[in-house]
Amino acid sequence: MADVAQPRTVIPPATGALTVRLRRLGEVTVQTLRNPVTVIGLVIIVLMFAMALLAPVLTTPNEPNPYQMPRDWTALNEPPGTPGHPLGTTAHGGDVLYGVIWGSRTSLWLSLIVVAVTVTIGTVVGSLAGFIGGKVDEILMRVVDVFLAIPELIFALAIAAVLGPSFSNIILALAIVYWVKYARIIRGQIIHVKQNEYVDSARVIGDTKFRIYLKDVLPNSITPVMVQATMDMGAIVLVGATLSFIGLSEAGLAEWGVLVSEGQVGISTGRWWASTFPGLMIFLWALAFNLVGDGLRDVLDPRTESR
Amino acid sequence: MTSVRAQSLEREGSVGDRPVMTLIDVEKHFPIKDGVLQKVVGHVKAVDGVSLEIRRGETLGLVGESGCGKTTLGRCISGITAPTGGGIYFRLSDVDRAALEDILATPGKERTPEQRKRMERIESRHLITALTGDAWRAYRRNCQVVFQDAFSSLNPRQLVKDIVGRPLRIHKEASGAELTERVVSLLESVGMGRQHLFRYPHQFSGGQRQRISIARALALDPEFIVLDEPTSALDVSVQAQILNLLHELQRDRGLTYLFISHDLGVVKLMSDRIAVMYLGEVVEQGTATELFERPRHPYTEALLAANPDLDADVDKEIEGLEGTVPDPANPPEGCRFHTRCPVATPICGWEVDDAVTWLSVETNLLDAMTAVERRSNFDATLAFADDGSAEAVGKAMTAGSVPPAMAPALESVSVDGSKVLLRFLPVPPVELEEVEPGHVTSCVLHTSRRREL
Amino acid sequence: MTSTAAAGVSAEGATRALVASVQDLSIHFKTKAGMVHAVDGVSFDIRDGETLGLVGETGCGKSVTARSFMRLVASPPGVYAGGKIDFWSSETRAAGGGPVNLLTIADDEMLDIRGNRIAMIFQDPGKALNPALSIGNQLAEVFYQHRSDELLEPLGPNAPVIIRRAANQESGKVERVLLKLPPLRSKAAKVREEVEDHVAAALAETQIPNPRKIMDRYPHELSGGMKQRVLIAQALACNPDLLIADEPTTALDVTIQARILNLIRELQQRRRTSVLYISHDLSLVREISDRVAVMYAGRIAEIGRTDDVFRQPLHPYTRSLMAAVPSSRNKRGELAAIEGTVPELIDPQPSCRFHTRCPYAAGVCGEVDPRFLRHDFDHGVACHIYDEPAELGIRPDELPSYERRTR
Repeated sequence: MADVAQPRTVIPPATGALTVRLRRLGEVTVQTLRNPVTVIGLVIIVLMFAMALLAPVLTTPNEPNPYQMPRDWTALNEPPGTPGHPLGTTAHGGDVLYGVIWGSRTSLWLSLIVVAVTVTIGTVVGSLAGFIGGKVDEILMRVVDVFLAIPELIFALAIAAVLGPSFSNIILALAIVYWVKYARIIRGQIIHVKQNEYVDSARVIGDTKFRIYLKDVLPNSITPVMVQATMDMGAIVLVGATLSFIGLSEAGLAEWGVLVSEGQVGISTGRWWASTFPGLMIFLWALAFNLVGDGLRDVLDPRTESR
Repeated sequence: MTSVRAQSLEREGSVGDRPVMTLIDVEKHFPIKDGVLQKVVGHVKAVDGVSLEIRRGETLGLVGESGCGKTTLGRCISGITAPTGGGIYFRLSDVDRAALEDILATPGKERTPEQRKRMERIESRHLITALTGDAWRAYRRNCQVVFQDAFSSLNPRQLVKDIVGRPLRIHKEASGAELTERVVSLLESVGMGRQHLFRYPHQFSGGQRQRISIARALALDPEFIVLDEPTSALDVSVQAQILNLLHELQRDRGLTYLFISHDLGVVKLMSDRIAVMYLGEVVEQGTATELFERPRHPYTEALLAANPDLDADVDKEIEGLEGTVPDPANPPEGCRFHTRCPVATPICGWEVDDAVTWLSVETNLLDAMTAVERRSNFDATLAFADDGSAEAVGKAMTAGSVPPAMAPALESVSVDGSKVLLRFLPVPPVELEEVEPGHVTSCVLHTSRRREL
Repeated sequence: MTSTAAAGVSAEGATRALVASVQDLSIHFKTKAGMVHAVDGVSFDIRDGETLGLVGETGCGKSVTARSFMRLVASPPGVYAGGKIDFWSSETRAAGGGPVNLLTIADDEMLDIRGNRIAMIFQDPGKALNPALSIGNQLAEVFYQHRSDELLEPLGPNAPVIIRRAANQESGKVERVLLKLPPLRSKAAKVREEVEDHVAAALAETQIPNPRKIMDRYPHELSGGMKQRVLIAQALACNPDLLIADEPTTALDVTIQARILNLIRELQQRRRTSVLYISHDLSLVREISDRVAVMYAGRIAEIGRTDDVFRQPLHPYTRSLMAAVPSSRNKRGELAAIEGTVPELIDPQPSCRFHTRCPYAAGVCGEVDPRFLRHDFDHGVACHIYDEPAELGIRPDELPSYERRTR
């Protein structure tokens, strides 16, 4: 295989760095979109985002807090198709459709905040450990080991339990738990990338350590983090829903996990809708991000990227 | 721009008129760590006391097999890793060198304050690990590297323009349109052009990538370039292109090269002088023709004998070497090559390890050995499980079945119950000696120690 | 012993029997940009007991050609697009049988040939050995797999079935327990001893000092040269008819390389094994081969006896390649480089593949595939310089020639 000449694609002469970079971005996008499974995932994600964005338009926001389920005490346990409640209502008169739509907002907040915070902390810690090495690495990695020795869910549960039941505490708990994974990934990548001779070359021409880190090391280490972050966008909603389900967030919150939890009592008596629709949303959300994450991994994998 | 002109002014004069790099007793030992506490249990002596001089405008070839330390030495000289001993000096004048050697010959405590001051002054101006400010920048600009692997030496996420222009940007030589023009002219000087500016490294062939690496090394108009196996990863036809290019650049820009390679044909073609390394040491050094036509070290001879050569007579068979390269953490006594040398003599450094190796490779007697009590590398007691084995070993060692060169070096072998006491004649380490003008070797067959034979 | 079939196939006027004959072999690779013609109509013979050197630069298709002998080209993306590889094993030859086509035989037949009648050694000995198995166990597998009958010899013709199965490594769990019981234990031990003897002998033949000791070692404890010896021992364990050596010394130091090269040559001469030796290094190939085939961009440019090819290279590519090797003839800066790069092999048009870099190329070189021409007894070349203008339908002065440099 290695003996076969790699075809080099013919590239029309480029005029500037920006055009080349844009064209490269275009190539990657096209390559990503060539995989139908990735496209399905992307479509679901776009729809979810649109739903979250348009929540105030699609429904009448509950006053004063739109993230709280509106209660219609005149319509309890109504099945789907009831006028005014197309997906039915919960045992407390909550409109399931409202919960599904505003739940996408809650989920988006949850996953965005947690991923942004954890990726940042993880990248900083992992970079310090991997790039500086030595004692710094030793100490930071022992800290990471401690975090890793505790099961994620139980740890998050303990934190949320100590801080009291609220959705913001769930966000905090997940942020504390999830950065460790990124620190590990980025450290491993950096240690690997550091050995490349382009890093030595940069030192030989007299560049500073920080700029070498920014230009040579980080850009070549970050792709697995991006893939992982995409997947975690889905996974975190799953875990968040679990924590909500066992009652660690406020009752009556327009959140899928809370809705599933509130609706579960009805399932045995045939009132399936209150749990099923939000449950389906959780499933679709997690699935979509996993599909896209897998697709990204295939495209961004350095082994296939240079082809 | 002024600095560039100043440099080229400084560079006028004839080839070889002053040293660019001077290495005095350079050592690079890597610690071997073991256990939970990462205790240092030993050192891999990758480079172990190398002294060299590279003079302006010449090409010094550095040749040796994998693991001999040639790449590590190149990395030390180019400032990528710091040596653990000795010194690497940039532009050390002959006068300063003489003074420095004089001072270094005096033990640290006996040095006079003037000597110390002088040394400090020399070091702050020339010792690459002690340079600061302008002196450091001058060294950094003037010493560049081209690596073997053009795949890993170019950042895959940068465009050619950024890769080649980066040194100029760092040293604030150019920016904007001027930078682009400088990069274009650099690319043109390595046989590429404007059309390649905005491409990624993976869009090029191996030879073109190596050209980009060379262009980057040339960006700051350096005086000296370390070429670390620059063509080993390339096909012959492309190798020829790159070698021609390197020569052309040297001629036009008055460059000084350290050419590191394992390929004798390439080194011979490209070098004025050649140093041969084995197990962290330089064993022979001389002009390219001298070294190839009259090698004065058996290791060099072995390299030449093993090298298939298109010019050679068809019927001339190539010959290899016995055994394997010893562990660089525990290099042999005396001449480090004696364990594999086909013409080893009794004074080459036979020691306890050689006896143990011989027992394990040539006989089955070693299975019964339980311990080695070492008083020195030349003097040890081998303990065996039973008296019989000890007796057999004693007999084998005295009966003349040991290698003929080792036998006379064995001062005494005595069997004491289940123990065998071994004593070799201790020998000093070999030293490089000039055997002809400009031709040094450490082989005792050619140096003054020949008289001891 | 010479089968009539074998004598008839030889395209190069050989008088010796053949071990293998590659005819018009084409192997393509499917890529997004199109079909890469990695091997494009390659024909050559390997004669009984000879060493054929296959030399060429990166991407010329030499490794793919070699791997296709064992059907090791991954498919997809690889496609066996045409041609055949005839192979005569010593057994079929002794029985007067004809060749088998290695590209079309059934998988179980291939299994029987692979490692047994045709063996291969690779460039990276570190990757070819299983790091979790000791050297002894590693080699023992070959004997269990292909030479179990010999292992049973000391037990006589009436060895129990259960022992037979053990020697073929077919024992089930229950059988393995039974083998530990007294009546069978000694017999099983005899088989094991026999294997160890065979392994030790195989290792000793590759001049490994103290083979019994090496058998207990693991691959990571051995040097590169030692590992390559173990692989050679493994490859030659079954006394194959053909040994394919794919750059076996490229990863080794020059002093070790010389030893391995001499070892291969010595074993080859002693056993009269045929060798297909693949390398990018001209001087190495000259050292070891009886005949040499020069490959460029998926095709054979020139083939002939080593002496002839090196003394009087016919193809412009062979000449350029030899001139590009640094030697004492060259002055610094005056190496004869071959300008340009290897062409892309995606859906190529009919042409000489070298015409883009050839200093003597004429118009016809870029339009017509060169025929393979017999220049001399046993020396063939694919170049229009030696072609007949009439055959190509052009005037004599339109033919490329060494007298005219076109660039």
